[in-house]
Amino acid sequence: MLELVADMMEKDLILIGATAVEDKLQKGVPQCIDKLAQAGLKIWVLTGDKMETAINIGFSCSLLRQGMKQICITVMNSDAVAQESKQAVKENISMQITNASQMVKLEKDPHAAFALIIDGKTLSYALEDDMKHQFLALAVVCASVICCRVSPKQKALVTRLVKEGTGKTTLAIGDGANDVGMIQEADIGVGISGVEGMQAVMASDFSISQFRFLERLLVVHGHWCYKRIAQMICYFFYKNIAFGLTLFYFEAFTAFSGQSVYNDWYMLLFNVILTSLPVISLGVFEQDVSSEVCLQFPALYQQGPKNLFFDWYRILGWMGNGLYTSLVIFILNIMIFYNQAFRAEGQTADMAAMGATMFSCIITAVNCQIALTMSHFTWIQHLFVWGSVTTWYLFLLLFGMLPPYYSEDAHKILVEALGPAPIYWCTILLVTVACNLPYLAHISFQRCFNPMDHHIIQEIKYYKKDVEDQHMWRRERSKARQETKIGFTARVDAKIRQLKGKLQRRSSTLILPNCMPSPCQ
Amino acid sequence: MEATDRVILAFQKGIQSDPNIQSLLNKNFPACKPILTPRWVVSTFMLIAIVFIPIGIACLIGSRDVVEVVERYETECIPVLNRTNTVQFIQSDADKTCNISMTIPKRMKQPIYVYYQLDNFYQNHRRYVKSRSDEQLKSASKENDTSACKPEDIANGRGAIVPCGLIAWSLFNDTYSFSRQNQSLTVNKKGIAWKSDKQKRFGKNVFPKNFQGGGLVGGATLNESIPLNEQEDLMVWMRTAALPTFRKLYGKIEVDLEEKEVINVTLMNYYNTYSFNGKKKLVLSTTSWIGGRNDFLGIAYLTVGMISFALSMGFTIVYFVKPRRLGDPYLLIMEQRSWIALKMFVEFF
Repeated sequence: MLELVADMMEKDLILIGATAVEDKLQKGVPQCIDKLAQAGLKIWVLTGDKMETAINIGFSCSLLRQGMKQICITVMNSDAVAQESKQAVKENISMQITNASQMVKLEKDPHAAFALIIDGKTLSYALEDDMKHQFLALAVVCASVICCRVSPKQKALVTRLVKEGTGKTTLAIGDGANDVGMIQEADIGVGISGVEGMQAVMASDFSISQFRFLERLLVVHGHWCYKRIAQMICYFFYKNIAFGLTLFYFEAFTAFSGQSVYNDWYMLLFNVILTSLPVISLGVFEQDVSSEVCLQFPALYQQGPKNLFFDWYRILGWMGNGLYTSLVIFILNIMIFYNQAFRAEGQTADMAAMGATMFSCIITAVNCQIALTMSHFTWIQHLFVWGSVTTWYLFLLLFGMLPPYYSEDAHKILVEALGPAPIYWCTILLVTVACNLPYLAHISFQRCFNPMDHHIIQEIKYYKKDVEDQHMWRRERSKARQETKIGFTARVDAKIRQLKGKLQRRSSTLILPNCMPSPCQ
Repeated sequence: MEATDRVILAFQKGIQSDPNIQSLLNKNFPACKPILTPRWVVSTFMLIAIVFIPIGIACLIGSRDVVEVVERYETECIPVLNRTNTVQFIQSDADKTCNISMTIPKRMKQPIYVYYQLDNFYQNHRRYVKSRSDEQLKSASKENDTSACKPEDIANGRGAIVPCGLIAWSLFNDTYSFSRQNQSLTVNKKGIAWKSDKQKRFGKNVFPKNFQGGGLVGGATLNESIPLNEQEDLMVWMRTAALPTFRKLYGKIEVDLEEKEVINVTLMNYYNTYSFNGKKKLVLSTTSWIGGRNDFLGIAYLTVGMISFALSMGFTIVYFVKPRRLGDPYLLIMEQRSWIALKMFVEFF
């Protein structure tokens, strides 16, 4: 009935206009995706929306663009599904995947980009054990993958497939309750707090309030975090090896009886107050390059995935440095304090004096080492590093003032025995420099002959060349991007290539028999 | 939204809008970012060389100024007949007097320090080091605080040993008397221990009691009428040495000794180092600002200074021969993309 009425009324109408509803992307999403793509990350979209919506979103954030070949894997006509057996459907999908893979393999144009679009129903077949590897193999060669009409369970399954199939680190970001499975499955889960509630936030490792903050989270903080952790761990091993091995060496001189050359209190405080604060400041505040530079040079991010700073070479190098430091400290102290008098008044050194000197050498040497490692010095770092060395001397002073019941042999050792002895101070200076000299030579050599990217950028900033030579700075920023097929810069590039192609075709028709040099060549 | 969601959102909003927290979280502390430019590298190494080489020379001169005479005597001082069974000899009641002579190689200015040196004696053994009672040494009331001192803690049935423990028990007891040309030289045995030992660690009303009364005699006996804070030999001995070869201060000779003088030493060879093949040596030494004679510090400084100098020269040569433009962006190993196309695009349209 209603249809009849509608039919009667809706006649001879004049079209006035059309309205459209745009499900707006959040502010800054296209730029963020662009930056992450330039940093070398691969981006997949898993959405519950229908295919047309998902494709439009892909276009608006430049995951898809004109000229990209879209590979759609779908279950054929839906009414046929009920009739055909499951096996036939699977075979169909398998064939589609195989054809698509062939097409990609045979593509000769290096700039050609493929986008894979698959919907939830198809995905439920594609994720089965016998097909999922085939599906994954196709998906990883595509520049972008959009999965639409995906259920929450499938989001988690796709994430698991990528995680286990490629072995790479995965990050999942979402804002709704339907993203919780995916967020928990990925290596890193990021939740966006917003209109859809807090479920994603509560399930995630990190939570941000807008999608665009992901760019800063990864490219700036991710990069810094990787560097900080790598340096911190290597340094921690170094200082404990430098300290612990001296105890072992001393055993050779005590008939292996287990006597330690240091007072118990020195050993207790070593890791608590005397060398821990500089490491903490290294781990919290260190920046090899500033945040603007990280954002301007997204390719620096790749230092993390390529694991340039925590490979075995570096770890063993630091351990070797610790071994060398311990040997230098021990041997120099033993040889200097051998058996002769160590003061003009004729006294010889006892175990307390030698232990205190050796320990002073260790504290000074490892703290100078961390000062050489740090590249970003604020007042905090200065306070912690030089403060640790000062704390040691203060401690020795105050500990020595305690009655002998507590301080035993260390009673008044700095004031009476070691402080006035020039040999004590000479030894500390010598040992500190001898321990740090190889490291200093190594980093000077490396900077000179084999500089890493962030060294060059540090130098550019140091000499303020970025201010002087804006052209150069902009050019380098443009070079500092990973070759990428998605994002709007890629879209601009593709446009340029298209125009260049048109230009060449046009100029080739203009060339006269007596060839005028074309501006293109 | 649920109540918890509201709370979380409000908290986030609160932090985002509070200017104090924002300024703290986003604060860019003024930072200095030093980098190793060629100038810094070469000047650092050169500075180290310039500082270390003179210090090394000064230390070496200080060490070379010291005149030292060392005389090993533990085998010499056993009569030839008894040299096959030294342990039995040293434990017997035979006469242990021994005469040795030392020739002064160079003029020695007073005060000349007399040391006894023991080799292969592990004063730094853990069980030995802990075998003492600081409480007992300090105050007479804590006389019975001997738990750490076993086995030298209690004399058989006569009460606690003061001072207890293996360190005190093994007190060195060789004595030396010096003479030149039949004129004896006095050895000042005062002022050889640390002042803090005399004042704080050894009590002035603690007297030795039942010392060496544990059954086995390990070394010297102590005069029971002298309080512990005046027993300087004991105080010096109780400062356990760090290495198995060590010297301890015996006394000071306060006259000058001329070159080529022959000093005759009458020593009592009481101490038993023969059970463990230890060596005994008598040392006469002057001191300089750096202490006794040890060239190692000076040589080490010179070595490090020379290495540093060589490094600075090496780096200078390298920077001249193969210079790298600093901040040269062409060295960036990142992926390259050409913008020539864009430039052309701009030029053409």
